[in-house]
Order: sequence, then C-alpha cells, then structure tokens
Amino acid sequence: MNFLSLRSRAHVGLLLGLYLAPLAHAAELVQAPSVPRFLEETDIAGLQSRFEGEGEYMVGGGVATFDCDADGLPEVYVTAGVNKAKFYRNRSARGGALKLQEERSGLELTNAVGAYPLDIDGDGQTDLVVLRVGEVQVFKGAGQCKFEKANDAWTIRTGNGWHTAFAATWEKGQSWPTLAIGTYTDRSKPEFPWGSCTPGLLLRPKEGGGYQPATPLAPGHCALSMLFSDWNRSGTAALRVSNDREYYKGGEEQLWQLPAGAVPALYTAAQGWKPLQIWGMGIASHDLNGDGYPEVFLTSMSDNKLQTLEAGAAQPRFTDIAFKRGVTAHRPYVGGDVHPSTAWHAQFADINNDGLADLFVVKGNVSTMPDFATLDPNNLLLQKADGNFVEAGSQAGLASFKRGRGGLVVDLNGDGLLDVLVVNRWDKAQLWRQTTAAPAGHWLQLRLQQPTGNRDAVGAWVEVKLGEGDATRVIRQELTVGGGHASGHVGWMHFGLGNAATAQLRVLWPHGDWSDWMPAKADAFYTLSPQGLVNWKAP
Amino acid sequence: MKFRLFSLCLAAACAWTSAPAPAQQAAPAARPASAFSAGVANEWFSLALLLTQQTPGFSPPVASRAFAYLGLTLYESVVPGMSQHQSLAGQLNELQSLPWAQPDEVLHWPTVANASMATMTRMMFPTASAENKARIDLLERSLPLKYSQDFDPNTVTPEITNRSETFGKLMAMALMTWARTDGGHEAWGPLRRSQQNYVPPSGEGQWVATPPAFASALLPRWGEVRPFVLKTSSTCAAPLPPPYSESPSSAFYKEANEVYQVSNKATQEQRQVSLYWADDPLKTPTPAGHWVFIANDLLKLNKSTLAQAAQTYAQLNIAMADAFIAGWKTKYTVNLLRPVTYVQLVIDSNWVPTLMHTPPFPEYPSGHSVQSSAAAGVLEQVFGANKPFTDNTHNDRGWGPRTFASFKVAADEAAISRMYAGIHFRSGIEGGKVQGRCVAQQVLALKLAR
Repeated sequence: MNFLSLRSRAHVGLLLGLYLAPLAHAAELVQAPSVPRFLEETDIAGLQSRFEGEGEYMVGGGVATFDCDADGLPEVYVTAGVNKAKFYRNRSARGGALKLQEERSGLELTNAVGAYPLDIDGDGQTDLVVLRVGEVQVFKGAGQCKFEKANDAWTIRTGNGWHTAFAATWEKGQSWPTLAIGTYTDRSKPEFPWGSCTPGLLLRPKEGGGYQPATPLAPGHCALSMLFSDWNRSGTAALRVSNDREYYKGGEEQLWQLPAGAVPALYTAAQGWKPLQIWGMGIASHDLNGDGYPEVFLTSMSDNKLQTLEAGAAQPRFTDIAFKRGVTAHRPYVGGDVHPSTAWHAQFADINNDGLADLFVVKGNVSTMPDFATLDPNNLLLQKADGNFVEAGSQAGLASFKRGRGGLVVDLNGDGLLDVLVVNRWDKAQLWRQTTAAPAGHWLQLRLQQPTGNRDAVGAWVEVKLGEGDATRVIRQELTVGGGHASGHVGWMHFGLGNAATAQLRVLWPHGDWSDWMPAKADAFYTLSPQGLVNWKAP
Repeated sequence: MKFRLFSLCLAAACAWTSAPAPAQQAAPAARPASAFSAGVANEWFSLALLLTQQTPGFSPPVASRAFAYLGLTLYESVVPGMSQHQSLAGQLNELQSLPWAQPDEVLHWPTVANASMATMTRMMFPTASAENKARIDLLERSLPLKYSQDFDPNTVTPEITNRSETFGKLMAMALMTWARTDGGHEAWGPLRRSQQNYVPPSGEGQWVATPPAFASALLPRWGEVRPFVLKTSSTCAAPLPPPYSESPSSAFYKEANEVYQVSNKATQEQRQVSLYWADDPLKTPTPAGHWVFIANDLLKLNKSTLAQAAQTYAQLNIAMADAFIAGWKTKYTVNLLRPVTYVQLVIDSNWVPTLMHTPPFPEYPSGHSVQSSAAAGVLEQVFGANKPFTDNTHNDRGWGPRTFASFKVAADEAAISRMYAGIHFRSGIEGGKVQGRCVAQQVLALKLAR
C-alpha cells in the first residue's frame, strides 16, 4: 500500500513537473529582458581599420563618434596604433544598413590610441582630443568635418609620454573646459616598467581662451580611464581615475576633487575613500538604483566592480555590488575558455529600449597572456526588472572573440536602436548594426544645446519620467566626457522608454537650475536649449 | 482519458500555484561553513599534494606559494559563511579588496569551496600532465556525490548551486589575478625571468655551486617575491651566523667540523631521519607539502568543519610561503657557503655528504628549519602546543607511520636532520628556527576573527 502510494505520488509529481515546466518558464519570461539582435556589418559598411602595434600599444584602441556635418548621424574616428587613424563620414541610410565612407579630415595620424570629442572653444564645432603614444594632439573642428591642429593655438603641451585616458569638465564660471589626461608607464623604461607610472596632467583654461601650463596629477598610477562625474550631486564634478595595478607600486583607484581655483586634491581615507586596487581599464557610470547618484562600473582583469555609495553622499565611500547584480563578468560565458577575462571598454546604455540601462563590456586578452582567456567574448549584460543583469552577448550576436579594447554603443543610423563599434588589437575593428525586429521598445534621443561656452552642456543631468501615478519611474543620465576605454561620444543622448509612448523630461543645466518638466513623444529626436524643447527632424 | 489527466494536472497545477509554497520549495536558510565537513577541503589538498609531486617546476619555494594561494582561496571563498571571521583583504600585502558575497544571498559553502578550489588548482598547476588535469575535473565532479551529506539536493537548489559555483570561481580568479603580481608567478614574474643571468657574489666564505652537479643557484630572487603577511621579506630577520673563519679555533670552523663529524658518524636512525625530512621535489610533495599532509590528517581525524579547515589551511600555508620568502631573502643576502665547500677547502678535500646532494642555494639559514618552525608555530595554535600526532606522509615509501610528541618536536627533528645530512651548519638550523617562529607569530597576528 505504501509502495503503491509512493509510486502514485511520484507519477503525479512527475506529471505535475511536466505540466508546470512551461508555466515556470512563462514566469521566467516575464522577468527575462528582451534580447536585441545585431548583425555585423563591418565589411559591407566599409570599416577597414586595424589597431596594430607591440608593447606600447597593448592598451588603448579607442574610437570616437560625433556629428560634424549636422545630419544627425555620428561620424566615426577610429584609432589604429602604429597604423594611421581614420575618419569615416557616416553615409548610412536612416534605419538602413550602415555605411561609412573614409575621408581626409586632418585627423589622420599614427600612434593614436584613444579619442574623445567635445567642443573645447565653444564655437559650435566639435573638436577632438586624440590620445597618443607621444604628444596628445588636439584638433579644432573647422566645419564640414575638417579639423586643424590646435595644440599651439590653445597652448596645450602634454609632453612625449604615453597618454591613455581623458576626461573633461567645465568648472564653474569657465567657458572652456578643464582637461584631465591620464598617462601610463615611463616610456624610457621599457625593460622594467613596473613601478614607473607617470603623473597625469590637469589643464585648466586661461582667461580669454587657451590653457595654462599643465598641473601634474601626482601621484599617477597608470591611468587607463578617467571620468569627471558629480558623484555626490554637489554641483561640482570630481575626477575618478581607474588605474592599472599591473604596473604601479603602492597605487590605488583615485578620486580627485577640484575645488574652484584651487589645486586638485585626492579624496583620502579620512574623508571616506576606501582603497581599491584593480587592473582598472574602463569606467562606466549610471544611476542604476534610482537614488539620484551614479553607480560606477570599473573594468579589470578577472572580476569587474560595480560600486554604489555605501552610506549616502556625505562621503565617497563605495561598496561593491557586482556579484549581487550579476555583473562580475569574470570569465568567458561562451567558447569554452576557462581562464579569467580581461575587460576594457564599458558603457551603460539601454540597448533593448526597455527603459532599463544595460551594460556592454569589451573583452580581450592583453596579448597572449596564458593565465587569461584567449577566447574572451564581449559581454552584453541586460538589466532585468529586479535590477540584476543577465548575459546575452551570444544570443545578441556580439560575442566576438577578438582582442577587444575600446568601443562605443551608439545609434549610427538614426533608427533609435543602438549599434556597436569595437576596436580590436592586432585585428580589424568591428561594427554591428542592431536589427531587433519590431515591436522593439520606444525611445527618444536628446541633444542639449547652450548658446555659448559649454555648448553641449557637459555635466548636465537629464531626467526622463515614464508612466503615471504610482507607476511613475524616473530614469536619468549625466552627460559626461571621458570614461570607457579610450573612447568617447558627443551627440545624441539615448533613452529607452519601454512601453511608454510619451514621457516627460527635464534637465539640470551645468552649474544651473532644473528646467521645467516637458512632454515628449517617443521615437523622436529632440534638441533642448534654455529656450525649450524642439522636435528635431533630419535634413 | 488523456484530456482528463491533463485537466487533473492543470487543476493541480493551478491549485499549487495559488497555494502557499510547500516548505521544501522555500529558499533554504543559509547554513554556515561550520555546518559542513572539511571533506571538500581535505580532498582538494590531497590532490594538490599529488600535483606538487608530479608537476615539474615545483621546487620547495614554488610549491609553498601554490599551497598558500590554495589555502587563501579556500578561506576567502567560505569566510562570508563564517560569521565570526573576516576576509584577509586589507591585511595581506597589496590585497585591498576581493569580491563580496552579499549577506542576503544564500550560498552553499561546500559548492563554493569545490568550485573555487577546482578553479585555483587548474590555474596553479597549468603545466600539470593531461592525466592530472583530468584528475582535477574528476574530483570537481565527484565531490558532490562523495560527500552527499554536505551536498543534500533537498536543501541546495539549482539556483543556489549556480550562484555558489559562480562565487567560487569568481573568488579564485580574483585571487589568481592578484597572485600574478607577486613576482613569483611563472608567466609574469620579472623575478623569475632574470634568474638565468644571476651571478653570485664571489669572495671568501661566499656561496659557490656545489658538487656533484654544480648546478646554478635556485631562484636567487625568490626573496623579492611579495610576502603575504610580512611587511617585507626582511621583517623576520635571522640572527647572523658566526663570522667566517678558517682558523681551527674559530666558531665557524667548529660548526663546520661538527657537520663533518656528525654526518660521517651518523647513526642509522639519524640517517633515516635525514632522509625522512628531505622531501625532495618530484619525489615527494616538498617540505611544505609534508606539513600540509600532517594538517590534512589531523583535520580528518578531528572531524573538523569546513570553516576550521579553511582557517587552518590558510594560516599554515601562508606561514610556510612567507617562511620560504624570508628564508630565501636571508640566504641570498648572507650568501654563505655550504659545508661541503668549506670542509673540502679547510678540513677534508675528499669529503662529500654521503646521504644526499647539497641543494643548489646558499646555506644560511636552513630552509627546512625556517619553514618547519613556521608550520609548527601555526599548528600549535590550531591543535595545541603539546598535541601528539602521527605523521603518515611517507607511509607509502615504507618510512612511516611515525609519531611525534608535539609539532615542535617534529619541526626540531626536521631542522637538525639537515645537519645529519651534512648540508647545514648548526647556526643555520638554529637561526632558521628563530626566523620561522617569527613568521608564525606574524601570521597568527592576522585578524581572522571579527
């Protein structure tokens, strides 16, 4: 009797399991974010660039995107190490296949390892800072995608070091930005670089334009990424520097405070700064938990860090929540390589337009390091409704096994779906178009405009409010220049809206006030100036 | 009939989904690491002993480093499950932070330990034979079956297993990435790369290569490897040996003559003792492995918990690794010649130690002495100063079991055995003990308890 009863129970259990499985799966699907689809279009788009070079080109490999012909589509500038960097005019059809056309722009130069666009002189033309093994080259935008060297005109002298990181901020009252440049090891000590990290540079503008002599950011600990961000929403950005412990001795991650007119000073342990030593290679920043303060993702070798404020904004005291959120990304998730990963560029962006920021991480072995994965696929970590992330790089089609370095997630064909660019060491750069089929989530893209000085409103915070009543949710982005790995973008800010066909938005202008909330319909481009919000139409 | 069955099941399913979840479906409460046996830990260290013995390149200092990272990996993997203990991040040199396990997430510590030890073992023995790499895979798969009481499927859901494996691998990889920068890592270490170019200092009383192989100096820069605990490799200094002299009335001559006499007249027991503690690489798991074997046995005998094992392996192995670093720093700083060199020069030109060849590195202090004293210092703290124990390390060679009255007695025997073997002066043995005890004290001063 007992035996039969047990068997019966077992059968019912089995059958229940079979019939419950689809229900359980359905429940999972509610949680699972939709996976975007990408199609590699490197070759058909016409992107032909290889980042080459030996020892001094093991880091870097950046790309920059910016619109220099006012058609609303970002152009592409790809660094190539010892090869010549290339400028590509974006000739993509809106919503169609990607098309890049190589053009002479004045930006062609060798030894380039990174690039960040921004309008330095406030003339309304995007300028470009090119990080190099050797002197940093700064180019002034001359219009129609032509550029001129501006180091002499703007008195920018960086020396002949190994320049590997960049960030910019407009300090209060300044019409030109303050520039921070990170450096790596001493180039005169190639045989034993350990312990030879050189100081960074801080260039502050002088009255009337141009720059004062650089202030050293010492000690330097081999910076591979820098980002000015207003971590505590004080209205003044601080400089986060992620450093590579492979080469420093006694170094750590850094956060510099820049009191107006005073020398930069590191936050100290007494002020709450917690020492952290990682193989810092990239910084991404985004308010993930909706508290108004940015979380910070730091790429490294092996495990990556996701930092959040430990006890409010009174102190720069961060705790690591990478494991909890599922973004450690410490080993390849496909390809069978069991070694730890090496992560470089990182960027938060709502890649599937569901209203939740996702995380793209570029991966790749430094060279042929045997202790680290050779087959190291890029990560696409999609955020779920519960705030945790799930890997989707392989399903999305982004799991490249090349030696990735810099990269960008950017809408190249103006269809509201974010595309992906990656620069690979000793290999061709890659370009993927997002081809996610309808119905994809809604989106809007926004470009901030100020009449003078800080034209692109770097340092602004934009909030987008979705839903009504109790279901209201606010997503926010800080407009920054810097971070990632040697790669920067200026132009449209992209917001995924999920199911919301309309949204409200407002901006906190740099060193200014909040605008009013303004209604905006989804799936459109807008410019926002102090005069108001304007629906932008492609020419 | 089928439709009926489907309806029945669907109804049951609906009832199930609307009813409160049965108790066994609820997330199991987190059990601390002390609630599990040390079985997983014991098994991984047993395999590490085998791999150390069978993998070329694992000289005694290198082996001690591998054991230390394995011990630390085990400890850091399970310490979030030890509520009265804390991570060593922030206490060990250049280790500021490690991945965190959030308190609100249930982890299954044997699974964490299994995953972390498998991952770290693979990374610590990348040149292991194909057969031994297969052993690593097999052990990782088999432990959940072998220790079914620790891996109860009724309490460990697939989600917990997955999360625990992820955390274990994450911890191992984070530690391995840090380990690469210690200077002792094969692929990275600048300290290893330049050893081929090492030219020992020359002069009276200085070390020179020894017969019969006249091999070049072993790991001359190992003293520059980053210690785990010692602030520098010179933190625990050994008292200096007597000044070099060839005068028969000198202390140095007397020490050399003592080695010559004792070695020549060694009793059968002394000869056995010297062989017993030789612990040669490729024949045995090295001197550090000898003490790991002892600890492994005692943890099993005491039916220790995973938490106790984690603490023991971490402290023991870190102490031995730092002992080798400190000892090597002293060796290549003092750079003292070996007894065979002195005796042939001053006392008996035909003399060579008959039991074993002199190892290819400077004499002072005795590495066995430093490392055994450090090991004993830790094990006394863990198991008791007067704990008698049986050493089964060399049973398979027919040399055991042997019983010792205490760890100190065993360590002292290991130390003096080097004089019986004719390869160390007494001052090297006694100075090594001082250095080893100092290292043990430094390691025991780590704040493991919250």
